[in-house]
Amino acid sequence: MKTVGYRRKSWPPAVRRKLRRAVYDFHVRTFGEELARVNFQPLAKRRQYVGEMVDHALRKGVKFERPALGVTP
Amino acid sequence: MRLNFAELERFYRGLVTKARGRGITCAITSGMACVEFGVAETTKDCDLLCTPESSKKLLDLLSDASLHGQLPSYRGHLTAPLDERWLRGGWTSHFVWNARGAEAYLDVFGVAPRSSAPWERELEGFYACRHTVAEMKRTNRERDWPYATALGAQMIEAGDARGWLHIFDMDLLLALTRVARPPASLSRRRPVLGLAVSGDSRLRSVLHAEVQFWHELDRVRLGIYQRAVRLYMRAVTRARLPPEVGLVVQHEARVRCAEKHLPWSPLVDYGVMRLIEDARTAVAELVNPTALAWLPDVREHFNVAAE
Repeated sequence: MKTVGYRRKSWPPAVRRKLRRAVYDFHVRTFGEELARVNFQPLAKRRQYVGEMVDHALRKGVKFERPALGVTP
Repeated sequence: MRLNFAELERFYRGLVTKARGRGITCAITSGMACVEFGVAETTKDCDLLCTPESSKKLLDLLSDASLHGQLPSYRGHLTAPLDERWLRGGWTSHFVWNARGAEAYLDVFGVAPRSSAPWERELEGFYACRHTVAEMKRTNRERDWPYATALGAQMIEAGDARGWLHIFDMDLLLALTRVARPPASLSRRRPVLGLAVSGDSRLRSVLHAEVQFWHELDRVRLGIYQRAVRLYMRAVTRARLPPEVGLVVQHEARVRCAEKHLPWSPLVDYGVMRLIEDARTAVAELVNPTALAWLPDVREHFNVAAE
């Protein structure tokens, strides 16, 4: 495969499938099955899901704002 | 009426569009960028990178940026003024639109913490690129790390080998190295990659040490800024501006306080090498000492301006 700097054109299909499987397994292990499924959906559905999650949390009184420290982690 | 997430997102993207229309180089980063990139994160705050030299123009834009009839204010007494001098030195300016039921929070950075290259060189639409966002996620907060790894994995899938620099999950790292190999140049930048490729039994402890090292780097960095802000915070508190004054008046007051009490670049004053040494000393007490030899050289991640 040709590489340009740190970029390559594409992976062979078999490699691409294996990479995708490993990454999906990581999402399931780390974020749980539901969020893993969301993370691999198209952008519009992903946005809608996160929006609904945030809106629901706000209705329940969850505070999202972080302290204003003048410096951010 | 409560503002929903979609409206908030439109508002922030609208700000970026207007800002770029005025020649301001800026990009959304952190949580909102993660949502865009396919790593769902619950956030409603917007972190915005803005080149320090554009800070005056951004302040002008914000001072007229109404949300449900409300104009923004500076948030908190620790907030540095949105001014090139402090933005360049690594400070963050925090703003809030405090409309009832329609609050919006905006944090503006000039320097992307831990970024190894100027963030403005590589953007993805409204957003900073995955590489920058992933570097910014190497915080002292445990919950940020899976996002860095997820972004790194996307980069590898997309053929951007820099993604190897962001994989901090051992199982994923091993799974990926069974399928593909990181370039040797990246293994030199991040020695733990060599251990993953060779299946070395030290991988777990070195990966743990590496993450703890970044935690400590962030903890020391935050401590430096928190100590440097104390006199400024007292001065801003004493200034007691009424809440209804406009953003420009608030800004002028903060600049007056900052010129007397807020160092431009506390990290440069403290010394980047000293910061790194402090973090190494701290991490040596937390991890297997043999792992220290495998830690990356992090100097390129702390390039803040000295002037």
